[in-house]
Amino acid sequence: MAGAHRSQTSATTGIPPGMTDETAPFWEAAAAGRLLVERCSNCGAESFPPRGICRACRSRQTVPVAVAERGVVYSYTVNHQRWLPDLEVPYAIVLVEFPDHPGVRVPGRLRGCPPEDVTVGLEVEVGFEAGPGDVAIPSFVAVGGRS
Amino acid sequence: MSRQTELFERRAVISGVGQSAIGRQIDRSGFQLTLDAVLAAVDDAGLTVDDIDGLAMFPGGGKANVPGYANGDLYEVQDALRVTTTWRQGQVEGMSLPFYGPAQAVATGQARHVVIWRTVKEGSAARNAGGRPAYGATRPEAEGPLAWLLPVGMLSPVCQVAPFATRYMHDYGLTREQLAWIPVTQRAHAARNPDAVYRSPLTVDDYLSARMISTPLCLYDCDVPADGATAFVVSAADTAADLRAPVGIEAMAGVIDGRPSWDQWEDMGRVGHATAAAMWARTDLRPGDVDAAQLYDGFSIEAVWWLEAMGFCGTGEAGAFVEGGKRIALDGDLPLNTWGGQLSGGRLHAGFGHTAEAVRQLRGEAGDRQVPGAQVVAVTNVGGIEAGAALLTALR
Repeated sequence: MAGAHRSQTSATTGIPPGMTDETAPFWEAAAAGRLLVERCSNCGAESFPPRGICRACRSRQTVPVAVAERGVVYSYTVNHQRWLPDLEVPYAIVLVEFPDHPGVRVPGRLRGCPPEDVTVGLEVEVGFEAGPGDVAIPSFVAVGGRS
Repeated sequence: MSRQTELFERRAVISGVGQSAIGRQIDRSGFQLTLDAVLAAVDDAGLTVDDIDGLAMFPGGGKANVPGYANGDLYEVQDALRVTTTWRQGQVEGMSLPFYGPAQAVATGQARHVVIWRTVKEGSAARNAGGRPAYGATRPEAEGPLAWLLPVGMLSPVCQVAPFATRYMHDYGLTREQLAWIPVTQRAHAARNPDAVYRSPLTVDDYLSARMISTPLCLYDCDVPADGATAFVVSAADTAADLRAPVGIEAMAGVIDGRPSWDQWEDMGRVGHATAAAMWARTDLRPGDVDAAQLYDGFSIEAVWWLEAMGFCGTGEAGAFVEGGKRIALDGDLPLNTWGGQLSGGRLHAGFGHTAEAVRQLRGEAGDRQVPGAQVVAVTNVGGIEAGAALLTALR
């Protein structure tokens, strides 16, 4: 299935996610531009990635909620290595946490500024871009970045 | 030193170590490399193949996220050796150290002499692919935890570990000029190891001008894909009279106290601390008693974690500790990765290369890189999603 790795029009190159019962809702929402995490119906804690159980109280009653607020870069890397034939480099990958959603950290790409401008603590907006295998991947947008 | 027999690891010894030829590309199948190492380890222990009644390998379950990762099938090895086994184990992340599961087996009487091996052909695989392949490249889709990483472009372990290094540098001020001393010093050690993959001198300037792979980690912060097999025999301590040169397991532990995930680990500036604390709680020895440290170095930053977690220096102090290279040199306070580590010795992986070197140092069989009179050697493995730490000791 080498074709799965191949870059399509403007989509980033990579390896697509396998879908499970737990993760399919995330990727379906991503296609619609929404970043889903799991919220516990019992205690209100939020968990990511989705596993159908609250990481705080272990309740099995969880509901998906969309994270729309700004996030903050916890850490990052700028990848320079061409791991796959059509991979365009360099690009920044960020691990984003959300002040309004404690316990949630989401990895994604970064847009809206040159890769070398990324910093710990950078503010970002939730966003997505076309990724491998016809999925939309998290692609955060730098707030106030020079583009 | 006191040897409290109530600790299960004190009822086990590492009795044999064997390795195949090791290099960037060894023109020999993974199975033959495995047999080379296994037979050498049994011979090194002073045993015969008929003495072996337990087999274990890493990885278990046929797990192979990159080409060349998994070789030497356990059942094929048992069939080829024509032995009867009372205990077998395929290790996925390895119960934290290569000898952990085998020590449990011999300490509880499930086997007397266990062979465990790890065989890599990642050097050949990288060459055949025209470069180091993406992690997960053997599968069409990213599964499990990788499903959050590979689609967004974290396509190699270096992309997954790099944010730990970024965060560590942010929190504690480590500079690349300081970090350079780990690969540079280890290269000097590799120059004295005829089996190391890279032995030519490396300077801090070479490091700083090397190409970036995934910031802040450059080429020399990454271990070297290699071909080669490493095997150990782990024996019940009460068989010592039958063994050529056994080495003691003073203490070992493997604790995962954070989220076992390369992206979700809570505090990326601190890794391995719970494992090290649990290990030190099992021994009266202290960090100052350690004569050499074989600390996991899939990436240079992982050795930084372990220097601090093991208490060889304080949290945030590893940069100053390694700067200049004197403390971690062969004649320093804490000789580090005396075989070159995975950075120069080759990615033998999962603590196998590190353990082999520890055994050789404790026996006084480390040749030109011998730390004189080494009695206590620390070994650690991985750090984040899996972790193991041990002290091995000379018995003779």
